[in-house]
Amino acid sequence: MSEPLLALTDIHKAFGANQVLKGVGFSIAPGEIVGLLGPNGCGKSTLLNVISGFAPADQGAIRFAGTDIGRLAVDRIARAGLVRTFQLPSMPRRMTVAEVLTGARARGTGFAGLFARPPAEDAAEVDRLLAELALTHVRDLPAAALSGGQKKLLSIALVLRARPKLICLDEPTAGVHPNLRAHMVGLLRRISADGVTLLIVEHDMHFIRELCGRCVVLDRGSVIADCAPAELTANERVVEAYLGNARDKGARA
Amino acid sequence: MSDFLIHVTIMAGIFSLLALSLNLQVGFGGLMNFGQIALFGCGTYGAALAFEQDLGMLTGLFFGLVAAAVVGWVFASIGRNLQADYWGIVTLALAEVLRLIATNEDRITGGAQGISGIRPFFPGLESRPQQLAILALVLGCVLVAWLLCERLTGGRYGLGLKIMREEPQLSASLGYDILALKRQCMVLGGLIAAVSGFLFAHYVSFVGPDQLGTSETFLIWAMIVIGGLGNNAGAILGAFLLQFTFAFVPFVKDLTGLPTEFVAATRLVLIGGGLVAFILWRQAGLIPEKTGRARHV
Repeated sequence: MSEPLLALTDIHKAFGANQVLKGVGFSIAPGEIVGLLGPNGCGKSTLLNVISGFAPADQGAIRFAGTDIGRLAVDRIARAGLVRTFQLPSMPRRMTVAEVLTGARARGTGFAGLFARPPAEDAAEVDRLLAELALTHVRDLPAAALSGGQKKLLSIALVLRARPKLICLDEPTAGVHPNLRAHMVGLLRRISADGVTLLIVEHDMHFIRELCGRCVVLDRGSVIADCAPAELTANERVVEAYLGNARDKGARA
Repeated sequence: MSDFLIHVTIMAGIFSLLALSLNLQVGFGGLMNFGQIALFGCGTYGAALAFEQDLGMLTGLFFGLVAAAVVGWVFASIGRNLQADYWGIVTLALAEVLRLIATNEDRITGGAQGISGIRPFFPGLESRPQQLAILALVLGCVLVAWLLCERLTGGRYGLGLKIMREEPQLSASLGYDILALKRQCMVLGGLIAAVSGFLFAHYVSFVGPDQLGTSETFLIWAMIVIGGLGNNAGAILGAFLLQFTFAFVPFVKDLTGLPTEFVAATRLVLIGGGLVAFILWRQAGLIPEKTGRARHV
């Protein structure tokens, strides 16, 4: 078996007295599409923040593509090829969609770069991405003027410009119209076919079943299941986490 | 053109450089720098100290540029994790600290008396041609700075700055080193401000701490807010507009027979009132920022 692209070992993270992650560990192989599930407050978003460097772990190791990224800053992790999207993407007001997309390719900060113009192939790539995402008609609008769903699509296009090996998507379909959702599935399949590994935080089980070969389920800061999506409903701990314990229900009633 | 008009145009040019440099930081980089006047002071004192030591004008310019680069770098590095507004307060305080050092280090800076009699530009020329030569020098610097700012903000660097300005989290998550962007922006802006200070020192022949008060910082702010944040032409327009308005306030005073205090008060009213009016009613300024202009190679 090939070496995993991302390996999490015993990740702990607390905010004050609130222990959000309690020893999370799993690996993702190159090319996989993994769903990250769990009830609200189980630590999914925190785990994404830990992986992407926004909230460094208190304890545990994160190896990505053979290097330890646990202590790296967000931008270093992104340049290493691990990028993320946000649950509620917020876009610049005083930049057009095409400009944000052009600028999304960070090319280092050397002196020569200060005076460089974006190369011509960037323009071609931006146009191609806009066409693929059906955003060509809004290319010259302020990026902040897009609808919530369009912003989600744009944020995926932005991270693609950063040449990722692994993309962590934070609820890509939340608040997205069903038509756009189908588009999103097609887009993510294409990205995966191009060799990019995906980790998707999502509540929509249809979406997960359509895309993911494997699911990791978190509950109260620990991994309670790591299996194929079809096996989830047969997993007692998962059912309990989502629906609550039958005895609890009886007691509350 | 009368000597007076030449003088006002020279001052407007010197302030245009300051406005361009602050606009690079505030308008494009979103860096709420309230300490810009300290970077200008690096230029004035660089020129003055080199003059005192008889080291020549270009050495003075070099001193100013190096000092401004260091101060800009320090500004960007100190409080790097602070939010934009808190960082702004830090810059205000740092600029005041530097002004107080300039006031109190008598032996080096001449203290509150400052350093006077600094050699003017083109001393060999007669008064009128000298003024015109200085005018050409200053306007030439403005042109170069404008071209530089256009190039910086119209290319890859400008796109990176703008994403950082509006969505710092997004910018970091795409791989931009925000601290490096900030440092570069503060250093580049500092270099332009130092040139402005260098020109100012040799033009007015006097350098002192009173020139570095916070009110001067807010004057530059008023210029870019009125002219148009994030627009290089707007910054220059704002500088010229305010300088010429101030220049003609005394005439209004003479015509209407108002007291002398009127002049100083009007200056403050124009800066404060202009800032408030534009922030309330026309936030984009006289020449708003243009989007969608980034050109590819």
